[in-house]
Amino acid sequence: MRTIQTEVLVIGGGATGMGVLADLALRGFKAVLVEKRDLTHGTTGRYHGLLHSGGRYVVKDPKAATECIEENVILRRIMPHCIEDTGGFFVVTPWDDPDFGDTFLQACDDTGVPSEEIDVAVMLREEPNLNAQMQRCFRVPDGSADSFLATQSVAELGRQHGAQVLNYHEVKNLIQDGDKIVGALCHDLVRDEDVTIYADITVNAAGAWAGKIAGTIGIEVNIMPGKGTMIAAAHRVVNTVVNRCKMPADGDIIVPAHTVAIIGTTDERVADPEHFAIEPWEVNLMMEEAAKLVPVWKETRMLRCWGGVRPLYQETKVADTRDVTRAYTLLDHETRDGVTGFITITGGKWTTFRQMAEVTVNRVCEKLGVERPCTTAETPVPNPFGHTGSYHYLGQRLAEVEKEKKFDALICECELVTRADVEHAITKGIAHTLDDVRRDIRLGMGPCQGGFCTYRAAGIWHELRDDPVEVTNVTLRDFLQERWKGLRPILWGQQLKQERLDELIYLSVLNADHLPGETASRLGPAMYEKGSIEDNPKAVT
Amino acid sequence: MANLKDVLVIGAGLAGLTAAWQAAGPDKKVQVLAKGWGATHWHSGCIDLLGYWPLDADAAVTNPLQAIAQLIQEKPQHPYALTGLDNIVAALSAFQDLCAEAGYPLEGTPEKNWLLPTAVGTFRPTCLAPQTMTAGDLSSDAAMLLVGFKQFVDFYPHVAADNLTQQGIPAEYVMLDLPALARQHRLTSVVLANMMEQAAFRQEVAQALKPKLGTAARVGFPAVLGLREATAVWQAMSDLLERPVFEIPTLPPSVAGIRLHHILRDAIQAEGGWVFDGMEAVGAEKDGGRVTAVFTETAARNRAHRAENYVLSTGGILGGGIYASYQGGVKEVVFDLPVNAPDNHLDWFHTDFMDKRGHPIYQTGISVNEQFQPVNGSEQPLLSNLFAAGTTLAHCEPIQERSFEGIALVTGYVAGRLAV
Repeated sequence: MRTIQTEVLVIGGGATGMGVLADLALRGFKAVLVEKRDLTHGTTGRYHGLLHSGGRYVVKDPKAATECIEENVILRRIMPHCIEDTGGFFVVTPWDDPDFGDTFLQACDDTGVPSEEIDVAVMLREEPNLNAQMQRCFRVPDGSADSFLATQSVAELGRQHGAQVLNYHEVKNLIQDGDKIVGALCHDLVRDEDVTIYADITVNAAGAWAGKIAGTIGIEVNIMPGKGTMIAAAHRVVNTVVNRCKMPADGDIIVPAHTVAIIGTTDERVADPEHFAIEPWEVNLMMEEAAKLVPVWKETRMLRCWGGVRPLYQETKVADTRDVTRAYTLLDHETRDGVTGFITITGGKWTTFRQMAEVTVNRVCEKLGVERPCTTAETPVPNPFGHTGSYHYLGQRLAEVEKEKKFDALICECELVTRADVEHAITKGIAHTLDDVRRDIRLGMGPCQGGFCTYRAAGIWHELRDDPVEVTNVTLRDFLQERWKGLRPILWGQQLKQERLDELIYLSVLNADHLPGETASRLGPAMYEKGSIEDNPKAVT
Repeated sequence: MANLKDVLVIGAGLAGLTAAWQAAGPDKKVQVLAKGWGATHWHSGCIDLLGYWPLDADAAVTNPLQAIAQLIQEKPQHPYALTGLDNIVAALSAFQDLCAEAGYPLEGTPEKNWLLPTAVGTFRPTCLAPQTMTAGDLSSDAAMLLVGFKQFVDFYPHVAADNLTQQGIPAEYVMLDLPALARQHRLTSVVLANMMEQAAFRQEVAQALKPKLGTAARVGFPAVLGLREATAVWQAMSDLLERPVFEIPTLPPSVAGIRLHHILRDAIQAEGGWVFDGMEAVGAEKDGGRVTAVFTETAARNRAHRAENYVLSTGGILGGGIYASYQGGVKEVVFDLPVNAPDNHLDWFHTDFMDKRGHPIYQTGISVNEQFQPVNGSEQPLLSNLFAAGTTLAHCEPIQERSFEGIALVTGYVAGRLAV
């Protein structure tokens, strides 16, 4: 069995875990991160991409609001290439209480979130698709974040300082030696073999899966998985983040991200962070609520639907998961459970990942009896895929393609992904599936949802890798199935027509349902279905 | 009425063009309303008649006509059951004659499917294939060399060759990096097909290939060997390389499909009919159980088009003839004919993208009688001078069955003849 020895083992390849890893590396620790699937497989890769100003929490959760605005300022400074400076509105719709606006403004002042009221006429000039019946509008410094790119970038920062990232390494159980956790037994899903990792300290940053990890040694960490369903429209119906100015509820935010606009979310308690369904009522609710903000929404082409699971933590159970604090929690299992060498960082949200990492690594330092200051708030984060130092903007990829006249090499026309981008992601990154390539460079994320680029990317994949052809075949099939997963709940109108064209290409022209080899691999997607793995044999996790 | 046509065809896909070609004649005024070009520009350019039946069969159909006889027993409402076997044979034969006269022969018979290579190296069953493709016949295990072009992003010979080799057809591949292509701004299949019509470019391709031919007994290209002059280009490449050459269909736009579109348009025009491009039919006027006009959108107002008889060939969900809106139900867009869609969105799809049963929503369509007139629930014609053809018809799954072009061609043929 392969064995790895390190100082700190980090479990979870989302924003929090990667933040912890990079912080550890910057402070000179030898650190290894394991993620059960690809980076951002969990909640990080399945949220709407809001860079919080804190506005959403000023009334209900002031502590979280203050954390958000502090981190908002820092992230804009250290990783602007992952952020689009969209700004944000809080709008009072005809269905909302206009007096809440005063409460909101006061709470913004109290928590340090910059805000100003603007005329509805000004709002409409900036965002003409918004409902003209709005009663009030407030401006806040929300933004739109690319959580895929951010995680890859932070991983790159960690690697530059000696950290190691292992994706497709699933923790089977923590390893206990007396009262001490000494590491974890992992399973390498790609090579299908076990790997033992020994560490002085193990950090559980597994998000919605944190309870499962702690559970392997009988420690109870009460994570309440709160499912949020989101839908992306195939257009930027707004260029500003738009929030309902009321207490947080279902379907009250639209975030413009890259070429799409995303409505979110629901909040439903689920039993399992991996296996859950997207219910028709959730889709309908998102459509109805989005149309209150942007009346043209229902006539807009829908692109995709997905669900993410919030890692909400609380020691005592409550019925409605939205009442749980968004502020993060650090659990030192030495003081809490009498087990040394093990800490859990949980809760929080993407915007506060850096602060969560700082607090976590401070505790690691304490436990190891060393004093090393945190530098992440001042350290610029590199970009493994392009520029740094300025905000992302919508036309950026087009500008790059036009500047270098790379039209002939476009593999994914929808998202302007070039052949060089695909080759880079396949050869330089840690991608094991085309879906991993997608997360790296947005391959297949546009309107045709992989209709044209799946074949192209599989062709390039096969050229660049030494895989047997059956591996390429199942990689292609897995990716088509993964795209299908998020299409099925919202297929109507133009997108249904598009999907039929994709069928024409892959069945009629390519006969890809008769490719040699397996029809699905263990690296393939888990579908949005109710039930257990046994009920749904393809959904291997 | 001065402007009254004999037949107005709505839709310019394979079904509509075939119907117009059949209906047109010296004393028959036939017009086609084309919103855009049809699925000819997307499909393989072959005529799939029936490739898999039953749908979940592992093996491809070897004798489509025989399999259709079985299909008709099991699905008496299937479009092929309504046309009958004789019309299938007649339609294919007439279309083969037309293509042969146009200098672009389609080879095959309705009693035998070809197995031809795809751009991923699977074996694709199809009934009629252009002469430019048939040397790829996979009943022969003669070694092949597959040729890609580095700047052409829609064909990857490596994966195709490896899959063919894995399945017993020795295949090698080569990726050409030609100076003439490096100068191209955006190399689509159509651009490449036009370049192939230049002798100098063919020479450049042949020169680059000759040292790499090795033991290959035949050479496969993506389907870009000429657009208007395909047969000559194919012949010239075969001569230059001194061995059989064949094309493999790949991602849209489909050059081979566009050739069929051209042949049919030319045939319609030769018979005095015409195709009216950019005309989207948005509604109709009905009176006394008959269609009296079809409306298209123009800048100022809807324009009325009147004819004795009408053929609806707007395609299914893919062609846009049937539209499923959010909570708005599933509708036929021109005449608001009844369609047989499942009510509940949950019942529209299976779990797997490639479920061999086909997703139920795609079997939504218009029910017709044996005269190809749309009917109501009790089999009565809804509009006596309206005929429907192609993949807008219900009770079939043209993509899963691999009957996409066959249903279009055969029902277009029958409906076109019934409409005059």
